[in-house]
Amino acid sequence: MMNKKVSYKLPRNLLVLFELMALLLLFIYDKDNLDKLTIIYGITLIFIVYISNFILLRISTGDSYIFLIVTMLISIGVIMIYRIDPLLGIKQVLWIGMGIIIFFITYFFFKKIKGWEEWIWLYGISSIILFIMTLLLGTRTKGSINWITIGRFGFQPSEIIKILAIFLISSYYANYEKYKEKKYGPYYLMGIMYIFIMFLFLQRDLGAVLIFYSLFLALQFIYEENRKLVLYNLLIFIVSGTLGYFIFPHVKIRFETWLNPWKYIDNKGYQITQSLFAIAEGGFFGTGIGLGYPDFIPEVHTDFIFSAICEEMGIFTGIGIIMLFLILVYRGFKIAIKQEIKFYRIVALGISILFGIQSFIIFGGVLKMIPLTGITIPFVSYGGSSMLSSFIALGILQVASEELDFEVEKDG
Amino acid sequence: MDKELKRIITVLVGICILFVSLVAYLSYFQVFKAESIKMNSYNKRLWINEEKILRGSIIDRDGKILAYSEKEGETYKRIYNYGSLYSHIIGYSYREYGKVGLELEYNNALLNISDSTPLNELKNIVIPNTEGNTLKLTIDHHIQEYARNLLKGKKGSIVAMNPKTGEMYAMVSLPDFNPSALKENWSNIVEDENSPFLNRATSGLYTPGSTFKVITAVAAIEKTDLDREYECKGSTKIDGYVLKDYNSKAHGKLSLEEALVKSCNTYFAEKGVLIGKEKLGEVTERFMINKKIPFDLPTAKSTFPYKDNIGKTDIAAASIGQGKVLVTPLNMALVASSVANKGEMVKPILVKEIISPEGKVIRQSQPQTISRGADIFTANEVKNMMVEGVKRGTSKNASIKNIRVAGKTGTAENPSGKAHAWFIGFAPADDPQIAVAVVLEEEGSTGGQAAAPIARNIMIEAINTIK
Repeated sequence: MMNKKVSYKLPRNLLVLFELMALLLLFIYDKDNLDKLTIIYGITLIFIVYISNFILLRISTGDSYIFLIVTMLISIGVIMIYRIDPLLGIKQVLWIGMGIIIFFITYFFFKKIKGWEEWIWLYGISSIILFIMTLLLGTRTKGSINWITIGRFGFQPSEIIKILAIFLISSYYANYEKYKEKKYGPYYLMGIMYIFIMFLFLQRDLGAVLIFYSLFLALQFIYEENRKLVLYNLLIFIVSGTLGYFIFPHVKIRFETWLNPWKYIDNKGYQITQSLFAIAEGGFFGTGIGLGYPDFIPEVHTDFIFSAICEEMGIFTGIGIIMLFLILVYRGFKIAIKQEIKFYRIVALGISILFGIQSFIIFGGVLKMIPLTGITIPFVSYGGSSMLSSFIALGILQVASEELDFEVEKDG
Repeated sequence: MDKELKRIITVLVGICILFVSLVAYLSYFQVFKAESIKMNSYNKRLWINEEKILRGSIIDRDGKILAYSEKEGETYKRIYNYGSLYSHIIGYSYREYGKVGLELEYNNALLNISDSTPLNELKNIVIPNTEGNTLKLTIDHHIQEYARNLLKGKKGSIVAMNPKTGEMYAMVSLPDFNPSALKENWSNIVEDENSPFLNRATSGLYTPGSTFKVITAVAAIEKTDLDREYECKGSTKIDGYVLKDYNSKAHGKLSLEEALVKSCNTYFAEKGVLIGKEKLGEVTERFMINKKIPFDLPTAKSTFPYKDNIGKTDIAAASIGQGKVLVTPLNMALVASSVANKGEMVKPILVKEIISPEGKVIRQSQPQTISRGADIFTANEVKNMMVEGVKRGTSKNASIKNIRVAGKTGTAENPSGKAHAWFIGFAPADDPQIAVAVVLEEEGSTGGQAAAPIARNIMIEAINTIK
């Protein structure tokens, strides 16, 4: 027991040290328009992160690393966002605060309520309602319709639907035996998922299409007993991807700018080439906070935050972030394997895969390793919807990491 | 292990592979691609330094200013004093069109940007530099201008250099363009089928014609068991392919010296086959053909693909500088230099010194041998043959009163139908001060008639004016 406490304390303190040093650098860089409030926000951030790590260790008997990893990620993210735009940085601190509160709320809520695996229709119907709302009320940003604005606040329904979809898939496979009996039972899930993907495609949110699809395929691969369906799924993706390339110009553009962005450097390829310049300029150690020019990249605070981090903190930090995500995914899988209740196990897998795939798609995109689709890095990019939904997912994962003693049939 | 666990682990391994490939790609990108991507002219970071730092001047060997920058409002303006005269040496530096030439290759020196080490960066933050270094070239402005005037109206290239130190006195490539009027002429220059942007001196690949016989002669001397006598009948048949001398003239009984003096094709073709492709290939590579010539500007590789499966006719053609051999004018100037400099080929130099804003010489180029073309005796023997060639052979038009000149002409057949006129040589033969290569593209005349007189004038001018 003693041993355990010490081993958690050390990384927590190191995290505080990292934050202190980074904030110091940041304040030196921004010394001309530094005010008391900013310093207070900085100290608040360190405080929230430290305290929440501390509290979590007391109340949760589950995994204590995932939250630590996430707080490291948000620290790097918010420091970079503040450096790009102090105003957004302060907003991001508020989002983080709200995110952590949501995390704890989700944690208690999800733990207290039982019977999640029974509400498959609720997940399906509310998702579709959200989708329809997006199409009707949504505003178009960056070519895709994926935002709803209510009053002063905008949010991205697809962020919530991601979690609903994980619940839906999990409920389906948790009750697999029941659905298998029914006529066309095995095709229910596939039908619903393709409706989701179709909606996303209508919104022109190709990044989300890719995330939903990979998530579905991975979980289907693990749990589907009818292996032919997995194969069909894969085939449908390849065929529709190829068709999409020829039919829809916006899909084609993504591919062309991926293959040779230098040709379109003035227009379509501008963003990605600016991102490559930034990463190239950073080298292994980076230019130092405040000494690079990440603001040359449009949308740098959301989709391209990774390039900004690589420019000013070096690709060593970039690799560090990639590794943090890898550890987060690994911990998530470990949680899933240890979890005895099937529903929670699948939910844990789904969330881990979601974090993994989403971060991979955007890392690969800004590096020009795969075609670019504009999505956020969970916990790192600027943005309220993304931050809150990621923390909800993390709260659920935290519950799944505990040994739960529900009155449900255990298997495995 | 049950099925579910196995599959879970498969998915985990899949995700791990994705992430590891990200790390691998990022590292690969940084190590191999970052440098060239950074230099892209669309990278605005390159121009940020530009706006803060006064770009250094470029001066000739006597200190004459060729290019400089001056303040214009908030930014600096680059001024090229001599229009198109230095377009292929200095190049240009514009925000819209990027950089080429020395402006590109020496960008960091001109802006006084040190290599990016943490210490240098720290230094730069504390004391930001505001003025770049000056580049002092080896070019002699007078010779450069003189050489360009001789070539005016033609296509081709002239390279004039010091054979002992490698300093380039003049490097002309025509057609050229005016870096000061790039904006007005951009589309014309880009679309011009004569490619004015091509630096023919360093990157133009030409059939060398008979100038290549200098190299074949070195190989012939080194091949000690070769019979150097030959009876020339004006044409010969190799592997069923008929090879003729210029105007099918029979030269009669020939030694190696007579053959080079009279530039006998059948002699060198026959002997080339006897020398064999391995030996000939080895000698040409010592003269930096098939090799990358280290230089201050990008260079194209001259080629002689002797390792490919080539037949006797190809070897015969190569021995007289036809067929599969392609060379750059810079390379041929180096061949002449090598013969002049006792067989040693020196590294060509364009930037003599880098001078700091305080007037301190930061870097000075030193003569450096890059290859040994031939040993001192062979070089001497070939030199004497080249001197005879100028005295009484095809290179007569290059002779200078009271000075012993060594030279070799070339008239290179090529697919365009009009021959390239070549001349390579150096003077004075006993104490070489200047080596030249002249090529007139698609001139349709012989090297002796068209190229030799130009080379002669440059050699005279250089010997008389360069200190």
